[in-house]
Amino acid sequence: MNDLKNIADETPFQTAGPFLHIGCLPNLININGIFKEDLGLSPFANYNIDDFISVTGSVFDGNGDALNDIMLETWQSDEKGNYSPDNGFARFVPDIATKKYSLSTVKPGFVRNINGNIQRPHILFSISSRGLNMNLNTRMYFEDDDLDEDSLLCYIKKTRSNISSLVAKKISENCYQFDIFLQGDKETIFFDI
Amino acid sequence: MGIKSLIKRNYNKQPRLDYPDYKSSIFRAPKNDKFSIPDSISEVSGPIFNKKIIGKLDNDLTLNFSKNNKPPIGHKIIVHGTLLNQYLKPIEGALIEIWQANAAGKYLHMNDKNIAPIDPNFAGCGRYITSSNGTYEFITIQPGPYPYPNRGIEWRPMHIHFSIFGKSFGQRLITQMYFEGDPLIKLCPMVNSIPDTKARTSLIGSLDTTKSNTHQLLFYKFDIILRGMHQTYFENRKEGL
Repeated sequence: MNDLKNIADETPFQTAGPFLHIGCLPNLININGIFKEDLGLSPFANYNIDDFISVTGSVFDGNGDALNDIMLETWQSDEKGNYSPDNGFARFVPDIATKKYSLSTVKPGFVRNINGNIQRPHILFSISSRGLNMNLNTRMYFEDDDLDEDSLLCYIKKTRSNISSLVAKKISENCYQFDIFLQGDKETIFFDI
Repeated sequence: MGIKSLIKRNYNKQPRLDYPDYKSSIFRAPKNDKFSIPDSISEVSGPIFNKKIIGKLDNDLTLNFSKNNKPPIGHKIIVHGTLLNQYLKPIEGALIEIWQANAAGKYLHMNDKNIAPIDPNFAGCGRYITSSNGTYEFITIQPGPYPYPNRGIEWRPMHIHFSIFGKSFGQRLITQMYFEGDPLIKLCPMVNSIPDTKARTSLIGSLDTTKSNTHQLLFYKFDIILRGMHQTYFENRKEGL
């Protein structure tokens, strides 16, 4: 680790604040005509929508209130478990009224790490909002996969009891629910990645 | 055998999440510590955006929302700098998005309750993909400070929000740039949530007097550092991960 002594400090984070839509999703709030299209509208724009799964859910604060002034970003592999810089990123916000988000995407495949280990299918989530001085990072897994075989989940389970906070529930064929809890009994496990 | 992984984040140089002086953090900041995981291909990879998405005026906020070529109110500034990694190597081809209030301190946003006026010629959003030497440039107007409810009424220092994508999802950074000499900076709880003085100071764009005196507009320089990569070896990793 000696090589780390002479490195510069990363620029510190600051909150994205309540007006993040202006810079990140301007067309969504009717600031039209500047950016042709908002970023991350579909993670796999060239795919057939019939092949998509749907992930829905809400993000809850410590009062138990679902939030609608946050932004979510996701990053994932394709259905074969391969990452490409051109596909797999999505950016979205919960609906103002229902406070639910909805993501249409392909189900990611099993991801092979460079050391040969296999990760179960997962989607990375990043949450930005007013009140968060740094973005929060977590992972979503699928309850219908053999999660007991995933080495990272087994490792987390040794010290954390709320592993279920990382697992989306299957609510119907190709539909999953994944709620995120910022605080409270069900507080989601957030990662230092 | 070695693999590339991101340099671990130094949380002493980052803001505290649970920082009650910033009231909105009270019910939003998680109470448990973050769980540290060795990064995998999932965190080391990331989206890369094509320069084709960038329009000609995307980085000129003085023109990209102007009606009939009317300029926005306020004095024009140029904010520029270099995007670097922790080894101070420039990062090219990285997307930077910015947003800000207008000269009166008002955002073009339905949730901004500030009584200051909207500027019909200013939206406050811009984006840019860093050039081959890692540099970026935005032409904009000086954003105003503004009051907001926190512990009673408090004032945000003048600032521009920055969102940056490096090459890895784990390099993703969202931050704010402040302006040299603004007396509100040291009063701001969001700034003060960063315990380290040098880290706080690194968020202040510095007035570039040489350029400002030759171009008849003020230049501010703000360099941004994203996490770097290094080699790790399997034998140093936690078992099985």
